[in-house]
Amino acid sequence: MLSMHPTFPIERSLPMSRLLLLIAMFAAFTMTAPLQAQDASSTPLQDALQSVQADVASPSRSTVPQVLAALLQADAPGTVDFLRAWGDRAVYVRDADGLFFYAQDAPDRMLTLIDIDSGASVATTSSRDLSQIRPNAGVRREINAALVSFELTHPDPARRIAALETIARSPDADQIIPLTAARDAETDTRIIGRMDRLLDLLNARFATDTATRIDAIEGLRGDINTEARRVLNQTLQTRAEFASEIPAGTNVARIRTPGEDISLVDAYATLSDAGLAPPRPGRNAIRDALRANVVDGEVGGVPVHLLTTDERRREAYRALQEAGIVAPLVTEADMRAAVAEYVFFDAYLEADPVVTDAARDSLDSTRTAISFWQFASLSLDALSLASIFFLAAIGLAITFGVMRVINMAHGEFIMMGAYTGYVVQTVIPNYTTSLVIALPLAFAVTFAAGVVMERLVIRHLYTRPLETLLATFGISIALQQLAKNIFGTQARPLTAPDWLAGAIQVNDVVSVASIRVAIFVMALGFLLMLLYILNRTRLGLEVRAVTQNPGMAASMGINPDRINMLTFGLGSGIAGVAGVAIGLVAQVTSEMGANYIVQSFMTVVVGGVGSVFGTLAGATLIGFLQKGIEWFNPANTLAAQTFMVLFIILFIQFRPKGIVALKGRAAGD
Amino acid sequence: MIKKTLLTTATTAALASAAPALADCPIQVGVLHSLSGSMAISETTLRDVMLMLVDQQNAKGGVLGCELEAVVVDPASDWPLFAELTRQLLTVNEVDVIFGAWTSVSRKALLPVLEELNGLFFYPVQYEGQESSRNVFYTGAAPNQQAIPAVDYFLEELGVESFALLGTDYVYPRTTNAILESYLLSKGIAAEDIFVNYTPFGHADWSTIVSDVIGLGAGGKQVGVISTINGDANIGFYTELAAQGVSADDIPVVAFSVGEEELSGLDTSRLVGHLAAWNYFMSADTPENDEFIAAWHEFIGDENRVTNDPMEAHYIGFNMWVQAVEQAGTTDVDAVREAMWGQEFPNLTGGMAVMNPNHHLSKPVLIGEIRADGQFDIISQTEEVPGEAWSPFLEDSATLVSDWQELECGMFDTATETCVQLTSNY
Amino acid sequence: MPFDIPRTTATPAASKRSFLHENPSVLWFMGLLGVFTLGVTILSEGFGIGLISTNLVKILGMTLCLCLIAIAMDVVWGYCGILSLGHFAFFGLGGYAIGMWLMYARTEINIRDSLGRGTIPPTELEVSEAVAAQIFGVVGSSDLPLIWTFAHSLTFQLAMIVLVPGLLALIFGWLAFRSRVTGVYLSILTQAMTLALSLYLFQNDTGLRGNNGLSGLQNIPGALHVPQSVISMWFFWASAFALGAGYLLFAWVVAGKFGSVIRAIRDNEARVRFLGYNVEGYKLFVFTITAVVSGIAGALYYPQAGIINPAEIAPIASIYLAVWVAIGGRGRLYGAVIGAAFVSLLSSWLTGGGAPNIDLGFYRIVWTDWWLVLLGLGFVAVTLFFPKGIGGLFDYLVRKKP
Repeated sequence: MLSMHPTFPIERSLPMSRLLLLIAMFAAFTMTAPLQAQDASSTPLQDALQSVQADVASPSRSTVPQVLAALLQADAPGTVDFLRAWGDRAVYVRDADGLFFYAQDAPDRMLTLIDIDSGASVATTSSRDLSQIRPNAGVRREINAALVSFELTHPDPARRIAALETIARSPDADQIIPLTAARDAETDTRIIGRMDRLLDLLNARFATDTATRIDAIEGLRGDINTEARRVLNQTLQTRAEFASEIPAGTNVARIRTPGEDISLVDAYATLSDAGLAPPRPGRNAIRDALRANVVDGEVGGVPVHLLTTDERRREAYRALQEAGIVAPLVTEADMRAAVAEYVFFDAYLEADPVVTDAARDSLDSTRTAISFWQFASLSLDALSLASIFFLAAIGLAITFGVMRVINMAHGEFIMMGAYTGYVVQTVIPNYTTSLVIALPLAFAVTFAAGVVMERLVIRHLYTRPLETLLATFGISIALQQLAKNIFGTQARPLTAPDWLAGAIQVNDVVSVASIRVAIFVMALGFLLMLLYILNRTRLGLEVRAVTQNPGMAASMGINPDRINMLTFGLGSGIAGVAGVAIGLVAQVTSEMGANYIVQSFMTVVVGGVGSVFGTLAGATLIGFLQKGIEWFNPANTLAAQTFMVLFIILFIQFRPKGIVALKGRAAGD
Repeated sequence: MIKKTLLTTATTAALASAAPALADCPIQVGVLHSLSGSMAISETTLRDVMLMLVDQQNAKGGVLGCELEAVVVDPASDWPLFAELTRQLLTVNEVDVIFGAWTSVSRKALLPVLEELNGLFFYPVQYEGQESSRNVFYTGAAPNQQAIPAVDYFLEELGVESFALLGTDYVYPRTTNAILESYLLSKGIAAEDIFVNYTPFGHADWSTIVSDVIGLGAGGKQVGVISTINGDANIGFYTELAAQGVSADDIPVVAFSVGEEELSGLDTSRLVGHLAAWNYFMSADTPENDEFIAAWHEFIGDENRVTNDPMEAHYIGFNMWVQAVEQAGTTDVDAVREAMWGQEFPNLTGGMAVMNPNHHLSKPVLIGEIRADGQFDIISQTEEVPGEAWSPFLEDSATLVSDWQELECGMFDTATETCVQLTSNY
Repeated sequence: MPFDIPRTTATPAASKRSFLHENPSVLWFMGLLGVFTLGVTILSEGFGIGLISTNLVKILGMTLCLCLIAIAMDVVWGYCGILSLGHFAFFGLGGYAIGMWLMYARTEINIRDSLGRGTIPPTELEVSEAVAAQIFGVVGSSDLPLIWTFAHSLTFQLAMIVLVPGLLALIFGWLAFRSRVTGVYLSILTQAMTLALSLYLFQNDTGLRGNNGLSGLQNIPGALHVPQSVISMWFFWASAFALGAGYLLFAWVVAGKFGSVIRAIRDNEARVRFLGYNVEGYKLFVFTITAVVSGIAGALYYPQAGIINPAEIAPIASIYLAVWVAIGGRGRLYGAVIGAAFVSLLSSWLTGGGAPNIDLGFYRIVWTDWWLVLLGLGFVAVTLFFPKGIGGLFDYLVRKKP
């Protein structure tokens, strides 16, 4: 078992520039070290490794650069392959003697050891006598960076691309030369493009020649990609400083005026921390000083029991101060005077103002574009949320909107659909096939459930809407618990097929998960389908007829019972399909329906009962509103939901019929 | 398993109330884990572990020559019910010790009852600290045994300079993030490089938040996410992470509430390399762990069930309690409490857990990377770290210590040299 | 609306004597409540022979509070026809109001005690800062939020128990009734209100400790050393008294001309409006007064429960309230009491692992798992087949008597 001590030496990342120095150091070291014997040894790599055994066996980001330098310097045959294997966690150390091996799985939890020098199988031992060396991500990054120059010329293009990504992740001044060389030798145009891009970024950050650097920085003007902005921001890093006057050659980013850009207390604290001003005794310091100087029940002449106000305490403290026992109080005027002696400012770490000015220019030029794309990204998120709300509510728009039946178990139909999807997925392992089967099956299951519920319960309560509400609540409670009994309380994932699992990346600011796009398309599909059914089919005609005047409809030969049943089934079935869709972005739990029910009702009510377009408007309004509020207060998603509900309550006060209010006889009531 | 009724035990309670607390056979062990409601998913497993441990102990001949008997009740993830059932367990069922609770809210709910009736309680879950009750032994991790080492790992091993603290909006993430924020500031991370976000329980809409985190990368600093997201919401969060292609190499995520149980059933192939910090991982390769896993699989009758950190906490806590009872020669709460200090028991991950006088364990801290099979690769394991009840990184608790042995106080202010209070904050 | 509820035909000149005469159920109820209270007192651990555990006393006391909010719900729904799915919000607000004082005062006593033992006495600012650090330390903060400014004052917080739910109900009701939101729309709106409130309270920034809520409420400042067996009885008596007083108040309210008007509103709102009554005023009055009573019930309930948190206010709680009243029997106060007591006690008996599981051989019925299914379906059955609920049985009893 490898172990790491709880306190790591604090050290910042060790870039390649320092590596050179280390290589030089180790070169001197290896002259005298046992490595000298390597020529004679048959196991040169093992020997080289043994000289840094502890740091190879339990690598840390702070020690790995030295190890890499030593190994690359020793340059035993197979070093590069070993380093690759090390990073890929294919190296094992034998606990008994600390030797390193590659290994292959053997039966019965045994491992076959492979000598790292000869590549020959050496022995088969229990996995318990070996420790797998698992370098962490930070160490792996260092290893990859050290291998970049080897990988850049690797025949496998995939390896070359991986090497480029390593450069993108840990850019370093030393990479410019090998990268330039590799770019000249490269033939794959895709890779050349990426290499040019990285060279630009490296030059913008590290080029020693100011002109090249400024050129590169100018080249990043208006570039909204994250890596470009990262380089510019890195160039623009600042450090807060203060001095009696700004030293010559300082590249000042901005001056902080005490009392405006930096509070007086903070500015003074900076000074007193630096030992340039006496520390200011705060309330606690005064209390502690008094506590330490109680004499015969009095402090500075003030009886202890009277020290219950700040005035009295300060009075006692002044007495102590006059006696010279304690540090003097610092008044605001004192602080002002002390602070006035100094200038507080932020200085760029980059000394050359030409470079920072160019970088600031380039960065500022991206601002408008970034705001635009951020707005676009937020709008897409809102659209995605709206389509989920719409899907959740559309079934309700039919049962509640058209039939005026309050179905509080609607959420449970959503849940039922999602669980149908989950069950199908456990039976059929192929995610695409299972999704294709789950969607119609979810519809069928919830359609049936809806019809059964309509026949058994709701039919008897058409004249009593409040009772319908309560009865469906009962059903909702029962269904929820039933789902818990069957599927357990654990949240179940519905996994999207691979072709839906990624994201559509517009640029570095805007990307939308494909599954959300699919849901949007699905919501759109349902909208069109529903409009078609209601307005263009016989069923739709009959539904509208029954809704508006059941008696008249019946006398025209329509069977209201059948129509009610079908309509309710349709609404429930759509809820089931929505459940599958929602399960793909969120999680399938027995309580998922309850999370959507109040929201769905509000969507329908806000949009305007009885209109599919109303529901669409309601969902859009709520989705955009929620994202909008979230944008104002990104740290607290809950606040967004609260204010949204409050808004809806108020909205209904002023527009009780919703956004799309039906007019005339259709409005009913 | 005995389940007594609320209504019918009134009579037996009155008759038994005068009996002494010395070892009456059988010795009653209360198990107070939610078997229904939102927390049942996590807590049911712990109930099963307790039943297994009681079985194992009985097979070894019980304690003090007495059989152990588990009294299981169901607080149904309803916080007031935790208080009610604690009272029932202590006064009606007269249990000698209670193992239970998961969320901090439930622990805070039952604390007053526990302290009023002088019960003995073992709490097995990682929590936010800032508490040391006379009557509770905390076998889960305190922040310095999980959160702080994980942040150190981020700072030192991964070179993270810009932090996104994402959490569910309740006490554990709030307090942990407050501690971490002040810790990061003390480590020289600027306030503007710390992004904090809270979401409600079961939050599903993660796209904006994940985009925001990705956007932090433009600042030119290595970004890392510290997740105290709890329960179901993790599914949506990790799905969105995977969908937006956030790889562990670009933006590593370390989670404090995601273990083997939470990952089981999730497709982790896209999450490989993201991290979790615990005191135990199922993948730990020790003989003790193999034995524990084998016993668990046999008890539960399912080879696919995983083990996790709170299970190990119960395993250590229960065995320490058994040792303490045998050492004290009685189940009397005060005697057992005193015998608990300094009690040692081997960890499942190697090394020795020690119960400190502040009622927290010394345990090793492990950091694991998620593998494609839903298990974790242990990439770092420290020596045993003693749990701190009070965080030195928060101003209000910087001068507080807990020492029930020497100072006889769980909230002792070293500045004023006084015991702030003997009961806990609820 | 086809409600079939026995109506008291109150005459305008009904005097106090004739009120009780006209409403024999009130006397019956008071008598039973008195006997019950006396019985529990005699059997309690704190004041009697100790046959009833403190735990059970607390459960019974809490049940009395639930009965109180149930009769409030019955008045607003069963008599006035407003199906409010938000009355638990008022219940919770009452609990929060008293909880703030309980928590602050208890912590302040501890703090003064500990700071007073120091070498120099604390300033008031230090005390309030230390209290804030104690209360909010667990949620990662140490400042006293603005709404806690008067938490040290019992009088102020007692007033809040009545004022906060009352004002919220007044404003919400005024907005809703003014714009003629009725029926299911109103139900959904009230549900949205309680959802918004619980989401609001779930936030840490609210200053009421978010999800953690307020806890340790069973420890009464000033009586910290009184055993819970005694305190539980105090609250039991207070709850019994409140239930009795609430019953009397509402029985009186619904018996008179006022009662006739609100029942008329329930049955046909438009006609009452045409007759010249200010329908909105009546509804607003009923909504507000029941909210105030709910707040009082909550203020008595939570010190017995010991903890209040936003989950208590979640919409489902108010739905259960409607379920209790419906099962007990709408439009009769004793029905609401029966429903609340029966369903909540049965629920805690069955989910508390009290009831023996039934082994069918092929399947084991675990009540914890199946109770909610049973409740849900039972509730559907009541709605469909027994709209009068359990209270309806009394009609048969009364009718059978000559």
